[in-house]
Amino acid sequence: MSSLHRTPAPAVDVTEYFDIDNGLVDRGIFGDTALYQQELRRVFAPSWLFLAHTSQFRKPGDFFTTYMGEDPVIVTMGKDRRIRAFLNACRHRGMRVCRADAGAAKAFTCSYHGWAYDTSGKLINVPNREGYPESFDESRWGLREVARLDTYKGLIFATWNPDAPALTEALGGMTWYMDAMLDRDPEGTEVVGGVHKWVLEGNWKLAAEQFSSDWYHVNISHASALMVMSPTGKGPKAEIVQTPGRQYTDPNGHGAGFPTHPKSRFDDRVVHQYYDYGQLRERLGDGRVEGPMTTGHANVFPNFSYLPVNGSIRVWHPKGPDKMEVWAWTVVDKSMPDEVKNAQRLYNLRTFGPTGIFEQDDGENWSECQATAHGFMAGGMTLNYQMGIGMSAEDGVHPGTTGHLYSDGAARGFYSRWRDLMNTPAWHEKAADER
Amino acid sequence: MSIHTTESAAAPTGGPALDDLLLHFEVQRFYTLEAHLLDQHRYADWLELLADDLHYWAPVRTNRLRRQQSLADGVPGEVAIFDETKDSLAWRIRRFDSGMAWAEDPPSRTRHLVTNVAVRPGDEDGTYIAESAFLVYRNRLEREVDLYAGGRTDLLRRAPDGSLKVVRRHILLDQNVLLAKNISTFL
Repeated sequence: MSSLHRTPAPAVDVTEYFDIDNGLVDRGIFGDTALYQQELRRVFAPSWLFLAHTSQFRKPGDFFTTYMGEDPVIVTMGKDRRIRAFLNACRHRGMRVCRADAGAAKAFTCSYHGWAYDTSGKLINVPNREGYPESFDESRWGLREVARLDTYKGLIFATWNPDAPALTEALGGMTWYMDAMLDRDPEGTEVVGGVHKWVLEGNWKLAAEQFSSDWYHVNISHASALMVMSPTGKGPKAEIVQTPGRQYTDPNGHGAGFPTHPKSRFDDRVVHQYYDYGQLRERLGDGRVEGPMTTGHANVFPNFSYLPVNGSIRVWHPKGPDKMEVWAWTVVDKSMPDEVKNAQRLYNLRTFGPTGIFEQDDGENWSECQATAHGFMAGGMTLNYQMGIGMSAEDGVHPGTTGHLYSDGAARGFYSRWRDLMNTPAWHEKAADER
Repeated sequence: MSIHTTESAAAPTGGPALDDLLLHFEVQRFYTLEAHLLDQHRYADWLELLADDLHYWAPVRTNRLRRQQSLADGVPGEVAIFDETKDSLAWRIRRFDSGMAWAEDPPSRTRHLVTNVAVRPGDEDGTYIAESAFLVYRNRLEREVDLYAGGRTDLLRRAPDGSLKVVRRHILLDQNVLLAKNISTFL
C-alpha cells in the first residue's frame, strides 16, 4: 500500500484554457476546485518551493514552520547543522507535531499520543511501545522528509519531487535578476525577525502572475502612494509614469520587471545614501544596477515573489481556489549598519505588508477579481493578456528574453509553465517501474 | 521610560478618589473623541491628538511554545504591523487625500469601540499610563467584514494647553495571521 500514490484522480487537460500565442486566458483557472486540486498535485508537489531564509537558523534545534502548497512543514537545523524540512504531520494519526511558528526544540513531540521525533526527523519515542508487534520498526516511521532541499544565496527551497532538476537549474537565468537583490553585499542577506502573515480572498495565481509581469497596474492602482512619495506631492512626472524598462520572461515560468529610468527608483533615502553605486556597478554590472536594482517586481515560479528595493520577499500560500495567505519577510544586506537595516525595515512595512500604502490597494484588486470570477457569465469570460506580444527580444544587456516593462510577457510565460505542469503527470503519478 | 509593564493599571487601589474619577472620565472621553474622528475618517484631526514625538507601534504576534512565551510578541526592530512616527502617520494619511486610494474608495464603514480603560499616573508629572481594549468592526463594499480586536497601552501626556496627547501607543492585535486583506484604518 502506498497511500500517496493510490490511483491518481483523473486530470483535466488544461490546454483549452489558454491561447498563449494570442494572449487569451480563460478565467476558469482562478476558481475551479478540481483544477485547484490538480495544482496541488502537479504544480506545487513537483516544484521547488520557497521555505525560509538561512538566517532564521543559527543553532541546532532552531525551527520554523510553514507550508508547501497546503502541506504543513517544519524546517529545522539538525545537530549536524544541516537544515532539513519535514511534513509537519505525525506518522501515527497525522496531527501537526509542531504548532509553534518558530523557536528552538530538541525534539518534536506529538501532543496527541506522544510520538516524538528528533531534529533529523527520526522517530525517537513511542509511548507504550510494548503494545506494538515485533515487526514495528521505528526507523520506517520518521517524519516524511522533502526529497530535496537546497539554498540559493540565503533562500531555502525544497521539493517533494525526487526527479526535480537541481535548484540552480530550476532557477536558471532568473538568478541573474535575483542577484540584484541577493548579491549586492559580499556578506549576503539576512531577514529581519518576524513574518507578516495575512489572508487575501483571491486565487494565489492572481498575486504570482502580477509579481511576474505587472508594472502596468502601478500608475493606476498605486496612484495614491506614488503621489505621496513624489517630491512635489502631486504625483510623479510624466517620464516616470511612462518609464522605460524591461521585463524578463524565464522559460521555467519565472518573471521580473524593472524600470531603467534612473529616476524610477522608489527606495528609501537612508538606504539609497548607504549604497556605493560605483562599487555596485563593478560588482553587478551597469545593466543590473540600472535595471533590476532600481525598483521592480519578480516571481520565482510558482509562488515566491520579491521586491528588490522594498526588501520584501514573500510566499503566496494557496488556501483553496479562492483564498491565499501571504507570508512576507523583510530582507536586508548583512553588512548594512543597524540604522540602515532599520530604515529598510520601516520602508518595507510602510509601503508593503498589510498596512503598506502600496499593498493595501493590491489586496483590493485581487479580492475584486476573484469575486467576479464566481459569476456564470463573468467567470466564463476570456481575459486579455496580449500586451507586448511580438515585442520580446534579446536586448544585449539583460540576459534571456525581455520585452518592454509594460507587457504581459512574463504572465504568458507563467501560464505556459503552469499549463505544461498541469498537463504532465507528476512523479507520484507514474507507475513504480517508471519511477 | 518603558510603557511595558507587568503591573496592570487595572489593579484595584481601594475606593476611588475624586481625582481618579475625573482622570478616568477625561481619558475615556479622549478615547471616545478619538474613535469618532477615526470612524468619520477625519484623520488630520486625529493626528492632532498625537504628540510630535509619538511612537505608534503594533508588533507581529507569533505562536510560541509555552516555555518560549517571552518571544511571542514581536520586539522593537522586528517586522511590525505599524511602527510609526507622527510624520509617517501623516504620510500614510496624505494618500487618502489623493482621491485615488482605492482600498478606501468607496470608504469602509468602521466602528471603533474602546473599553476596559484603566489609568494610572506615569513616572513623570503630567503623564499617564492608560490601558484599553479595542474592537474595530470594518464593513466594506457589499458584505466584507473584518474584526480587529486587541489591547492598547498608551503613554499620555498633558500638553501646555491642558489637552491630552498620545506619546506612545503599544497595540497588541489579538491575531496571528491577520484575518483581513489589509488594515486601512488606525487602531
